[in-house]
Parts: sequence; C-alpha cells; structure tokens
Amino acid sequence: MSTATIRNAPVITPVTTNETRWERAVPVYGFPVVNGFFLALCGMTLLAFVLTAYRELAGLGPVSGMNDAFGWGIWKTFNVMVLTGLGSGAFAVGIAAWVFRRKRLHALMRMALLTSFLAYGCGLLLLGIDAGRPWNFYWIVFPWKWNMHSPLAEVAICMSIYAMVPLAIENIPPVLERLWYFDSRLRPGVERMERRLHFFFPWIIAAAYLLPGMHQSSLGALMLLAGERVHPLWQSPWLPFLYLGASTFMSFGCVAGTTMLCCVVWKRAMDMEVLDEAARITAWLIFGWLALRVLDIVFRGALGTAFHADRFAGVFWLETLLTSIGAWLLRRSLRTHETRSMFLGYVLSSVGGMIYRFSPTTLAFRPNPESLYFPSTIEVLVALGFVCMGIAGFLLIVKRFGILPAPLQEWHDMASYFRFRRPYIRWTGYFKHGYFGEDEAETTDSD
Amino acid sequence: MAITRRELFTTIAKAGVPAAVAITVGTDSLQAENIPVPNAAVGLLYDASICIGCKACVAACAEANNTPPDTRGDKLHQAPTDLNDVTRNIIKLYKSEDGSVFSFVKRQCMHCLDPACAAGCPFQALYKDKESGIVRWDADKCIGCRYCTITCPYHVPRFQWQGFNPRVTKCELCHERLEKGLKPGCSSVCPTGAVIFGPRTVLLSEAKQRIKNNPGRYFQKRVYGETDNGGTQALYLSRVPFEKLGLPELGPESVPARTLRWQRRLYQYFALPAVLYVGLVQVIRKSLKGHEQEAHEREKQTGLRAQL
Repeated sequence: MSTATIRNAPVITPVTTNETRWERAVPVYGFPVVNGFFLALCGMTLLAFVLTAYRELAGLGPVSGMNDAFGWGIWKTFNVMVLTGLGSGAFAVGIAAWVFRRKRLHALMRMALLTSFLAYGCGLLLLGIDAGRPWNFYWIVFPWKWNMHSPLAEVAICMSIYAMVPLAIENIPPVLERLWYFDSRLRPGVERMERRLHFFFPWIIAAAYLLPGMHQSSLGALMLLAGERVHPLWQSPWLPFLYLGASTFMSFGCVAGTTMLCCVVWKRAMDMEVLDEAARITAWLIFGWLALRVLDIVFRGALGTAFHADRFAGVFWLETLLTSIGAWLLRRSLRTHETRSMFLGYVLSSVGGMIYRFSPTTLAFRPNPESLYFPSTIEVLVALGFVCMGIAGFLLIVKRFGILPAPLQEWHDMASYFRFRRPYIRWTGYFKHGYFGEDEAETTDSD
Repeated sequence: MAITRRELFTTIAKAGVPAAVAITVGTDSLQAENIPVPNAAVGLLYDASICIGCKACVAACAEANNTPPDTRGDKLHQAPTDLNDVTRNIIKLYKSEDGSVFSFVKRQCMHCLDPACAAGCPFQALYKDKESGIVRWDADKCIGCRYCTITCPYHVPRFQWQGFNPRVTKCELCHERLEKGLKPGCSSVCPTGAVIFGPRTVLLSEAKQRIKNNPGRYFQKRVYGETDNGGTQALYLSRVPFEKLGLPELGPESVPARTLRWQRRLYQYFALPAVLYVGLVQVIRKSLKGHEQEAHEREKQTGLRAQL
C-alpha cells in the first residue's frame, strides 16, 4: 500500500522551499526547560555524582567489574572511546563545511559544536573519575614531563586542550549572540568581542580540526600496544585510521540524526537539501570505511577468523551488517526522501560504528589467562548518569540559545510568540531593548 | 611587491610538506626508535629446570618490599594465585595434561630493554632507570590510568583495586636493597640457585654456559630474553616451551617498536601536524571570507543579524 503511493507520487524536484530552508538558528521556544524527563535526567546525574563520591573513597574495585585482566571498564571504553567518537561532529561536519566547503552543512554546525562539546566534556569528567590517582593530573601543565610517544598521553593531553580551547571558543558565538539580544547596552562590547574572535577564527578552527584528527586516531593507537591480545579481526596497523574513519561517519549520524529527532519532537521543518547532503556524505564515508576495513582484513589474512563460530565473528558481522544496512538505508532515503529510513540509517550506522570502537578494548580483547568483564550496576549507573548530564545540558542549551537550525519564519514566529503570548517576560527587563532586533522605538514601551 | 602574509604561509606550506614527509618516511634511525641499552644493566637469571618450587622467594620478596602477606585465599596462608596488588613475585606450576611434564616458573617483571609499559605511560610514571635499566614506578607521576596493565605483554603490572590511594605494583628489582649493596630478596634466599642476580652480560654468558654444558636439557637451546621483545633483563632457561610458562613468543622486535612505528613517525618532531595546521589555516581563511560575505548579504536581505 505504502509502496504504491510512493510509486504513484509525483517526483517533486525542489525538495526545499522557503518554508523549510534552514536559514537561522532559533532557540526552541514555547517549551519549558523543566519537565518530567529533564528532572529524571537530573536525578540520574545526581545519583551518578553520589556514586562517584563513593568511588573516590572506596576505590575502583568495589564499584566496578574491572579486574586485573580487564584494566579498563566502560567508563573509558564506552564513555570516552565510543561517545567522543560519536560526538566528534565538530570535527567531521566542520571539515566538510569549512575545508571542503559544503556550504549547506553550515546550518548543522552549531548542533555539531554543541554535541561535541557536551560529549567531550562528559567524557573528560568521567576520565578524571576513572583515573585511580587523578591528583597527579597536574603534570599536564609541564610539557617536558609528557611522554610524547605515548598514545594515551596524546589522547589525554590533546583531548583536554581541544575541549577546553578551540571547541569551547567555537561555542562562544551563540552565547555572544544571546548577550547581544539581551540588552542593547551590551552590544558595543559584544561586537568588539566578536570582531576579536573572528580575527583569530582561522587559527582556532584549524586547531579544532587538527587536534581531533590526532586524538581520535590515537584512541585507536591505544590498542596497538596490546598486540596479539586484540583479536586479529580488529588488531591492525590501520587501527588508528579506522578509528578516525568510524568517528567521522558516527558523528555525522549523531549530528544529523539528533537534529532530525529535535525537528520531530519540537515540530520544526526539515531542510531536506541539508539532510540529503549530510546523508550522501555519510553513506560515502561508510562505504569507504567498510572497504578499507575489509581490505585490511583480507590483506592481513585474517578473513578466515570471520567464519569461526565464536563471539568475535559474531561481533564482526554485527557491526559490518549494521553499518552497511545503515549506509544502504541512507542511499535509499536519498531516492525516496523518506525521513524515517534516513533516521534509521543514521541510527544503525552509528550503532555499528559504536560497536566497532567498543570491540578492541572489550568485546574482542582476549587477556591471558582468559577472563571476562561485565560492568557492575554502579559502573553502569555512573556511565549512564554522565550521559544523562550531557542530554540535560543539551535540552537546556537548545531552549535558551540559538542552536537548532530553522526556517526564517521560525524566528519571526518566536518574536511574535514572546511579544503576545509571554508579554510578562518584558518585566524581567530581558527584552526591553529590542530582543529581536526590531526598531527599538516601537518596543520600548513602559513596563 | 612585498610578500603578503598569505604568500608567506603558502610558501612555508609548500616547502614544509616535502620536508615533513621526508622526516616522517625517509629517516631511518629516528630518535624514538633508538633503544639505549643501559651501561650497568642488571637482571635476574631464572633457570626453571632447577627450581624446586619452594616459594622462599615469594616470602622473601614480600619481606623485602614490606608488602602485607596475601592471605585472601584461605584467610590463613600467604597463598596468592597470581601476581596482584601485594604480590610482586610468584612461583607457578605448569603441568602437561597427562602429567608427564611439569615445570615451575617464577614470574616477575621482565625489565624489558624497551618496555611497553613505559612506552604507553602518559607522564613517565613507569620509567626505565638510565643506569641500571630497572623499570621503576613513580607514585608522584602515576595518574592511575591502568594503561600499563593493558600494554605489558607479560601482564605484570597490577593495579590496586581497593582504597582511595591506589598503587601500581610490580617488581622493581629491590632497587633500595641494591643501593645498600644487598641482592634482591628473591635471589638472596633461593636454595638451589635457580634465580641469580647480576649484570645482564654476566648472566647471559652464564646462561649460555649452562646450555653448552647440558645441551639436551633446555628448550630450543636458547635463553628467553636475549633478543625476545627487543631483549629483557630478566632471562629465562626452561625445559618446557616458554609459552607454557606464560612467556609469549614475541619475536626479536620490541612491542613498542613493532606496533608504534608509524604512530611515532607521524609525530616525529611534530613536523607533519605542524605542516597540516598551516595548510588548514590557509584553507579556512579563504572559506571564512566567503562565508562572512554571504552572511552579511543575507543580513541585508532579511534585516536580521548575521549568525556566523
């Protein structure tokens, strides 16, 4: 039935009209920040903080399933190695937009920057909690004490510098914009700061692409030193490059998929030109990555192990199938313009990439003597709590800052919404001086 | 006409790319790949064929290092099952399935010439002593990341899972006793001389002498650790295959040299990243100019402030 309607439907050539073209990042207005879901997220975060305090006193053993054979648990292998890969959208989408000049993708940039910042922030916090002796982190400010050739030093140093400097600075423009609209008296100062920021932007943006390129690949290089203990389907000299490749398509999926989800939840128009462009790039990234992965396995002569009846082969086929089905769904959505299959394609390919990045450390790690690791309840709760903190932060920020892309009309709708539906907001003085940039003489009426 | 800044950068990039590629690929002996063998390298020679498994060395090790006895097994005897947070040295038994062949093995840090643990340690908390070659752990630099427990091919460093101030435990060859002129705890009590301490060169010739005297006694007539994993300072002789004793066949190249070759080259002198950075800045400057122009045109059209 549904296929028949699709077949009979006339082919609409312009997929994007003025009503749907994403032209402006508009805050999600008209929805309260605090709702049941948000409170649940905050509760999970709070619980994680309490458990973290317990972990700091009791040590890692009582709170986690880590042991001598599996020195790394899900805090490192999932929250850091997987989720920062998922959250490296500022790197992947940014390179496509700024270096390869895919101009339409600029609409997604603010989403990419925000998701990256939250993923990296939560990951780094948990990295500090996972470290057994975190007070010794102060050595990070003495470069001559770094072990420059250690992949882990590269990851730890590069990741914290990236999140704290270029990524944080790239996230400043929405804040300045909000200040600009907040009060007209702030405008000269804000404009001065923006000019200063724009002057340094090329250097900051370039660092924001170089550093993740380095540490996302070094995350893969971490497991090189583990040698034979990583199953031959994963252990490869190309591991750093494959990790980097997986992070690019995963993060495209994360940025575009999250944006689509937000559009559905908050009833925003979807700009299919932008989404098609992102889907096309993601599909090609996946095809390229899969080709490299399979060629690497074939040339190393490890293909035979993929047909053994064991968990390693199972995980391998699971991740390969998920990513390839995801890529196929994305290609299909380009023809049919079904947002449903596009979203599903993003989800499946990202999950496949996540499993790939999770495998070498955990699923395909074979310590000697053979041993197993399963995260304990507290470990899972803390890991989830830090994910919930990121999601709560995201919900708060998209409702207060212009992050989510929208058609131009949405901005005008927001202006009239605040003018007529929430007039009392003026009493706070927030919008006294022309919040939406309209002629101030008209709006500065008496309070 | 004077050189513009853009031209300057372009020139730097053009000259730098071949230079960086040359440094990265062409250079043969890279700083990071030179493994210096310590002058006064000391070590242990363990001959599994004459070990009687009395475990005197296990008790002596605990005493020398002032570690509490590990009675977690039966709450009575010091009977650790493996190396752990209070056990730096342990005697294990290998028995073939039919029980015809058996061998004891003493496990402790191998003090590799190119240790994988130190190669991975982010702030050099695990480091190789330049004089004696002992791989030591510095409590003031360790962040407790447990990367050493993953990288060590012999699975030696162990993390303390309990408590707020965890430590990494591994054999440090009783360096404090050596400073006092004493031998390491284990070698000082061994009744049969299965484990002896001395300079690595002396131990190596002693081991070779034993093989010469008794060629049929030893597996493959070779000393494990002479070249294995780039060479280790703890040397092993055995009747049974070394793999059965938990000493994997790693080949003559050390684990870091083998696995981190390209990682090390790509970051050599930071040449390639620096060149890449200059190139990226060039491209992004141009992109930014076009993007700003478009944004300001839209600003004029829509009357709304440009969002960059």
